[in-house]
Amino acid sequence: MAEPAPDINQITASVESLKTELEAHRYICSDQIATAVYLAFHLRKPILIEGPPGVGKTELAKTTAQMFDLPLIRLQCYEGLDEAKAIYEWKYGKQLLYTQVLKETLDEVLQGAKGFAESVRRLHEFGDIFFSEEFLEPRPLMKALKSETGCILLIDEVDKSDHEFESLLLEMLSDFQLSIPEIGTIKATKEPPIVFLTSNNTREISDALKRRCLHLYIPFPDVELEQRIIHARVPEIPPELRRQLVKFIHELRDLDLKKVPAISETIDWARTLLLLHTESLDPQLIRDTLNVILKFQEDIESVQSELTTLVQRVSK
Amino acid sequence: MDRTLTNFIRALRNADVRISTAETLDALSVVELVGYTDRGALKRALSLALPKTADEKAAFDVCFEQFFAFEDIQGELGLPEPGDADDADDGMDADARGGEGGGGGGQQAGGKGGKKKRKPGGDQLRPEEPEEDLGPGEMSEAASPLGQLLMHDSKVELSVATAEAGEAVGIREIQVFTQKGLFTRKIMDQMGLADLNREITDLRDSRRIPERRLGQELKRRREWLREQVRDYVERQFLLHADATGHRLREELLRKVKLSNVEQRNFRLIQEVVFKMAKKLAALHSRRKKVFKRGQLNVPRTLRHNMAYDGAIFDLHWKSVKIDRPKVFAICDVSGSVANYARFMLMFLYSLEEVMPKVRSFAFSSDLAEVTDLFEHNKIEDAIAKTLRDYAGGSTDYGQALSDFRKLCLDEVDNRTTIVILGDARNNYGNPRTDIMKELYDRCKRLIWLNPEPRNSWFVGDSEMRKYLAYCHQADECNSLLHLERVVGNLLRSVQ
Repeated sequence: MAEPAPDINQITASVESLKTELEAHRYICSDQIATAVYLAFHLRKPILIEGPPGVGKTELAKTTAQMFDLPLIRLQCYEGLDEAKAIYEWKYGKQLLYTQVLKETLDEVLQGAKGFAESVRRLHEFGDIFFSEEFLEPRPLMKALKSETGCILLIDEVDKSDHEFESLLLEMLSDFQLSIPEIGTIKATKEPPIVFLTSNNTREISDALKRRCLHLYIPFPDVELEQRIIHARVPEIPPELRRQLVKFIHELRDLDLKKVPAISETIDWARTLLLLHTESLDPQLIRDTLNVILKFQEDIESVQSELTTLVQRVSK
Repeated sequence: MDRTLTNFIRALRNADVRISTAETLDALSVVELVGYTDRGALKRALSLALPKTADEKAAFDVCFEQFFAFEDIQGELGLPEPGDADDADDGMDADARGGEGGGGGGQQAGGKGGKKKRKPGGDQLRPEEPEEDLGPGEMSEAASPLGQLLMHDSKVELSVATAEAGEAVGIREIQVFTQKGLFTRKIMDQMGLADLNREITDLRDSRRIPERRLGQELKRRREWLREQVRDYVERQFLLHADATGHRLREELLRKVKLSNVEQRNFRLIQEVVFKMAKKLAALHSRRKKVFKRGQLNVPRTLRHNMAYDGAIFDLHWKSVKIDRPKVFAICDVSGSVANYARFMLMFLYSLEEVMPKVRSFAFSSDLAEVTDLFEHNKIEDAIAKTLRDYAGGSTDYGQALSDFRKLCLDEVDNRTTIVILGDARNNYGNPRTDIMKELYDRCKRLIWLNPEPRNSWFVGDSEMRKYLAYCHQADECNSLLHLERVVGNLLRSVQ
């Protein structure tokens, strides 16, 4: 998509223009999703995106970054993530090194000091230096705040983190600022980041966090939308095969499976079939490539028994 | 302040969508950005800002459809006050006052058929009254304000007028469904029905055909309007009153004695139980595990190691592990107490998220563990099976206690909470208080829940007095409210 530098004002003028622009970046979406980005941009509110895995939650953030031509800063959440990894950390090594240097020059510093009180006063002047921004190692959240041009901050799979971490996020999300006890409050530069949070719903996100965000639920797309997505992502695939393939996936989603195939699996499968120069779906082929879309052996087995009826229904 | 939006949010809250003030403000700025012009866009935008879970989104969809069916146009059009209409004069009219109290207007409208024939937005009315057929042709102008409004063929204007009249008579205060008829009539009156009726009567007696024709037309449209107003009242009722009534019922159910709950209310009570359990779970699931990990608690570590001459080997961490309660529930399922047991078990198992280690036992004479039943079946089925299998027999607490001791005394440790639900009516058998003492000594807490009121605990064959000595806590428990309190305490005491 070699376009001239995107004019942000023009893109964000309306929901429709946003949607078109997202589509130009090969992210086909519903009006609901485009509205979410539109509101997030204009209101500067974080979006909390929920939905089954593989429907393009993370992809939305990435595409938005591309679309606005902004850097994407990503924070992957996991159990045990804490502020040292997410916000900032002191450069312990540097601090230690400087302490050593200070030790050696201590005599010089203290030379001529009259009495203990003055020595302590002179030493105090150094104390604060060790806890200044010089010695601060910014982590993703801090980086996002300090970014000059503005940026897209993606906090991925926030449900994987601990409750404590959620509370850490609150200050950042509502006021775009972070407090560091030794230094004070760091506020966002003139262009606050656009924040995306994604969650797979493995646990309930706290009300406090939800309250500060717009809430977007991305469900599995309908047949028509998914066909367009496949068309955008794998344009080489023949239309008839595309129709069958999407329909087959939708049939699968209605079955009682441990993990139903998501959009990303549909795309993978489309690529696979393309690679095999397939013209239309047949049971044998599906049986051979089923492991691309289904990730559990018991799912594969249960689908295989119904394969013929499924294919019949699809090829109608 | 945007009235329409705040009203909508009120309706949403009625439908159990939690919306904070901050979110209301968000919604306002969203509306500012999107505007009221495009209904679809408004819905999409608001659905991002207000509902925050899948359940809430579903509720939001329903609410939005109902609420903005009418109100989306309100405020965009400057319309004549419908109040003008009834200034004119309040003549007595048989038709309007005919019905008495609630249901009057509604029944009348219902009595006259053919009102559904009208398609919205046009004047494709089909004359079908058994009156003289005057054929198409010119009609004279209507005189009364409402008549003019009806002849304008503008559904929008009528909607607005209806909504304004509804506001004026306080439709939002509607509480129970019997008020529907009353409100329908009130709104019609407010819109100037009296004038219209008089005009119709006058026109019917008129000699000129165009006027008679107008009379018939007006009459048809009056019926149509009545239908519309009834629809409007219906919608408002669903929006504003249904939830209030629902909440009222839930509120009552919490307080009612569990043994008196009727079969038909079981579903609702189950909902209430789940709701309460969810609340408790949310309250108590916040604090979690994390141990031997994270940051060293330096002050604490130093303090504790001072005794070892400063050699640090006993480490302390900032976060501590919190044990989940281990709960043994022993339920008397004999006839008199069975209903209480049902809800108690339902409650305990709804709390699975925060209390994963519930083991339950049922007895009337002999005791058996039913944990497996609950693990493999849905809660309702498991309860039904438990009651079927163990509810026979006469109550024997002594036997039950000794069974329990045989079964799992070894597993009772100082982190275990034992909850016994029963009326302690032992049919004058051996109460086996020695086992109670043993349990009391071993466990962390022993809680006795007795469905009988406290003053009958010591009468008749109740062994409560003897057992009481070996309980950390004994409570009267015969309503959901009690149950919630007890389980809440249970969760608190173990943390």
